[in-house]
Amino acid sequence: MESTYIVIPAQNESSTINGVVTQAKKYGNVIVVDDGSKDTTGKAASDATVLTHLTNLGKGAALRTGCDFAIKQGANKIVVMDADTQHNPQDIPRFLQTLKNHDVVLGYRKRSKSMPSILRFGNGVINTMTKILYGIDVKDTQCGFRAFTTSAYKKIRWDATNYSMESEMIANIGRHKLSFGEVPIETVYADRYKGTTIIDGIKIVLNLMWWRIKR
Amino acid sequence: MAALLGIQILGGFFGAFMAYYTFLHYKRKEITLKEYSFWIVLWLTFLAVTIVPHLLDPVVKTLNLARTMDFFIILGFMFLIGTIFYTYLLVRKNQKRLENIVRKVAMDAPKKKQ
Repeated sequence: MESTYIVIPAQNESSTINGVVTQAKKYGNVIVVDDGSKDTTGKAASDATVLTHLTNLGKGAALRTGCDFAIKQGANKIVVMDADTQHNPQDIPRFLQTLKNHDVVLGYRKRSKSMPSILRFGNGVINTMTKILYGIDVKDTQCGFRAFTTSAYKKIRWDATNYSMESEMIANIGRHKLSFGEVPIETVYADRYKGTTIIDGIKIVLNLMWWRIKR
Repeated sequence: MAALLGIQILGGFFGAFMAYYTFLHYKRKEITLKEYSFWIVLWLTFLAVTIVPHLLDPVVKTLNLARTMDFFIILGFMFLIGTIFYTYLLVRKNQKRLENIVRKVAMDAPKKKQ
């Protein structure tokens, strides 16, 4: 039987994590990686398997811990999503459905006025850079809602510990010529101070160029 | 021997203080004998050339430098840049070690609802 694992990295998300876990549990085994939270995130996520990072390592490292653990548990398919209710767990079946025909499924945020303009601009720049450097036309390179098969994970496994991991994953998709599908998602921007900052954006662009040279 | 300049006195105090500080850390067993020997030789050499800068005349002349002070400044910058790079490597190495430990601890001790 195919076993699906949903990996959710979380840092200081005690107010939202329980709701996300409850919803996500309907679609597979849930692993929450508590990435050095100062609040009670780990306790609040007790309905899931909780892996605790003793100190904050970053989203990329937390996701890698969760995905490596899922594979150790025998996962066939892995879904990764955010803990802050930005992603709706009810979208998971659409990801799994699309994954039947692809190695990787990437979520993309529908363009809406609720998306902060700086995010829209930064996203546009990174998407264009990805297209130029890797020849991959991805609608949203920074959306963290994704799904992939175990065999694909072994090829797209990232080294970045921070938000660059999303771009590194796409660079690896291009490098290994994996097939990918895209699924539109609704996004709620709960906290404007969390997530990718302008400095992260600059780092991502520089990394994209570096990975291209390294290839 | 010519009268000491203010900068030489300052340099002398600095060298002596650093030698004492190194000795203190050695006595507290915070650095090994090998490390202590390296640093103490460095500080004593610094002390010697600060008080008797003419010791460096052959070097300064060979390098076509106008003053011994210029030699010190160049050497200081080179040392600083080298130290910064060494510290950067050390921080990266420790970052990687910490990451591996934290990830291993997390994966070895999953918390599941009973």
